[in-house]
Amino acid sequence: MPSEDRPHDEKSQPPTRSPPKPSIFTVPAPIKRLFDRFPLTTYPANELPARSPRNRHQNVLYIFATPSGAVSGAPSYNPSCLKWQTYLKFSDVDFRLVASNNHASPSGALPFLLPSTHDTAKPASPIPSGKLQKWALEKRKRRVEEPEDMRYEAYLSLLDHLIRKAWLYTLYLTPNFTSIAEPLYVLPISTNSMVRLTTAYELRKAAEIELLKNSVVIDAETLYTDAEEALGALETVLGDQDWFFGAKEPGLFDASVFAYTHLLLDAHLGNGWAEPRLRNSVLARGNLVAHRDRILAGYYPGA
Amino acid sequence: MASPIEDDVFERLCQKPDPAEEQKREREFNDRLHAQYQKSQSRLFEIIDDNTTRPTTISEIRVLHASHTRRDFLERIFNPLLSANRDGPYTLAEALADVSNATNKLQRFDIFKNPISIYLDKPDPADPSTTPTDIAIYISAQERGLYTVKTGTEVGHSEGNAFVNAQLRNLFGGAESLNAHASLGTRTRSAYSVGFDTPINSNPDLRFQLNGIASSTLKSWASHEEVVKGGDTKLRWLTPGGHQHEVGYSGIWRQITGLASNASPTVRNDAGDSFKSSISHTWTKDERDYPLLPSRGYLLKTVSELAGFGPLKGDVAFGKLQAETQAALPLGSGITFTAGLRGGLLYPLALGGSSNSAPLPSRLNDRIQLGGPTDVRGFRIGGLGPRDGPDAVGGDVYAAGGASLLFPLPRLGAETPLRIQAFINGGRLLALKGKGKDGNESTLNSMQRTLGALKDGLPSCAAGLGLVYAHPVARFEVSFSLPLVQRRGEAGRKGVAFGVGIEFL
Repeated sequence: MPSEDRPHDEKSQPPTRSPPKPSIFTVPAPIKRLFDRFPLTTYPANELPARSPRNRHQNVLYIFATPSGAVSGAPSYNPSCLKWQTYLKFSDVDFRLVASNNHASPSGALPFLLPSTHDTAKPASPIPSGKLQKWALEKRKRRVEEPEDMRYEAYLSLLDHLIRKAWLYTLYLTPNFTSIAEPLYVLPISTNSMVRLTTAYELRKAAEIELLKNSVVIDAETLYTDAEEALGALETVLGDQDWFFGAKEPGLFDASVFAYTHLLLDAHLGNGWAEPRLRNSVLARGNLVAHRDRILAGYYPGA
Repeated sequence: MASPIEDDVFERLCQKPDPAEEQKREREFNDRLHAQYQKSQSRLFEIIDDNTTRPTTISEIRVLHASHTRRDFLERIFNPLLSANRDGPYTLAEALADVSNATNKLQRFDIFKNPISIYLDKPDPADPSTTPTDIAIYISAQERGLYTVKTGTEVGHSEGNAFVNAQLRNLFGGAESLNAHASLGTRTRSAYSVGFDTPINSNPDLRFQLNGIASSTLKSWASHEEVVKGGDTKLRWLTPGGHQHEVGYSGIWRQITGLASNASPTVRNDAGDSFKSSISHTWTKDERDYPLLPSRGYLLKTVSELAGFGPLKGDVAFGKLQAETQAALPLGSGITFTAGLRGGLLYPLALGGSSNSAPLPSRLNDRIQLGGPTDVRGFRIGGLGPRDGPDAVGGDVYAAGGASLLFPLPRLGAETPLRIQAFINGGRLLALKGKGKDGNESTLNSMQRTLGALKDGLPSCAAGLGLVYAHPVARFEVSFSLPLVQRRGEAGRKGVAFGVGIEFL
């Protein structure tokens, strides 16, 4: 049981609060001066271990990615990571990718961004996904126009609810789990089969709980039909424009749509789609497919 | 009418007894009793002494009251004593020594109440199967309760917790025990463990253990919480020379989670899951007279661990060697000098069964931490070694040493477990040096360079003065210390620190 009491530290020892009242805890000035001479010698700092990240002067986005994908800047295989990865690219902010997992995140979910810092002694505070837009707005070199459309919120909720739920269902609770979710989310975690089994079980359980939040039963037909309708609505609102809501440049909404359409359209996601219904309904929307191809070609040239 | 004599008696009875007289009488009585006892003892010794060389055979051993203990378990202890199983006859002295040895063994299983008493008896001479040299031995071994449950709370040293501890003793009648422990606290958020322990072949010096653990510990010195689930199995044995060995396998799932908002990138990069599959060996030779406050003797201890190598698999691969020694020297009039030295290294290895043959760099949970009131005093927990911002990220190679002078307190003397301690201690903890400029330096080369760098400059060290109290369970220290030498970023502490522990430098 090693232990120590916290409160004393170099600066608060002696704990001098306010000058007017010398309490019994105040160390007399001569003794304080004597203490200040310790340590007598200070050498340069120790080197960091091999796994410590070295270049701290870059913004780092922590996402779900394969280690090689993180190096090459490939699109993340997680929708919310891909959304912010794409949005930051739209904003023309320089950042590096790190393959990570939810345990690293301050909010408990990826992505988050660690801003660049020049003082390694004081690590920058991480920016959770909820505050990324604001951070990017302050940082970006180029303005991304956010359309002030009345319909914006309504269509966003289509994405965040109907399409997300169908995505959760098709990825975690259908045979796609074995063909896509397992190779992407479970196998990289550990080589140990007990750890993998537990993680796989936890993932499916979490998806189930999420889907049961707003309904009593998980009905595949309803989930798929709702998502198909939502996709239809997005197809219509996009029309033959380049970007949503007639914007000149892609914005957060485009990134949000791309996050799902790209992954669904990626035939080689994981080990391929075992249950392609949701994917097929995206394939059937020509405008959305063209929208995805436009972003992929413009912002992920290597992929 | 009462006679004057009767009156006299009555008066005398009414008189308060003189206390001095009373005491004297009592003392005389006690002396008489003691003398009688001593006489009977010496008579007994004489009888035994006269008979030490008398040929003896043990025809029968009966263990009384041990109703829950298996017969074959006891047989393995006592069968070798029976004369039927021996070549020649005993002398009485030999027989008695062997019986008391066997009883000591029985005592060590911790399933019988103390003391276990032995009775000798001559078997019935009328029984035609007995010989005149036969003796029968009766051993009265009262079994302890089959279970103990303890609950409690502990508060102190910036940690508070509540615990439940349950022990089932003598589970299958062979001194097997099952321990279950659960605790909830502020620093060790939660800890659960179940352990099964059994002697092998009725030998208290050869034990087999099987443990399952699950815990969650707040590691504030590296801004995270570590959740651990796993199991281990151990074989422990004591050799006649007093060497304690322990070999074991452990498989543990570790999770670095619950990061503080200002956690450093090093900690963030290592967040998540990893599985450690390792075999280990611990050797201890403890010759200290009183381990918590030794006045003479020495301790030698090595811990070796091999993880992830070859068929062990898992997610981490390394060899870890640690050695520790402590020596105590009495300087007279209760003053003791103790010195300790520790060192260790973590050697990265390639993961068994993986296609990648490059050695895996060490992770936060495997690296060594140094500093704190129980190793290098005058530093915070993990206060020495590489630091990334607020976090002690640990190192791969370390050496630490310390020397203390312990004085008995004036007026209290050397008999009390209290000492004044003056100490100086220090150490170095280094991360394995990275690849050289050419980029493909071998691990062995890096290790040699790192070991060489231990000698660069003076070690980070601190000196101080404090009070030591050796409680039977743990040692408590309060010391005032000042850091003398440190590396930039290392967390020395000026002022008072409090330490509780079992092993100190």
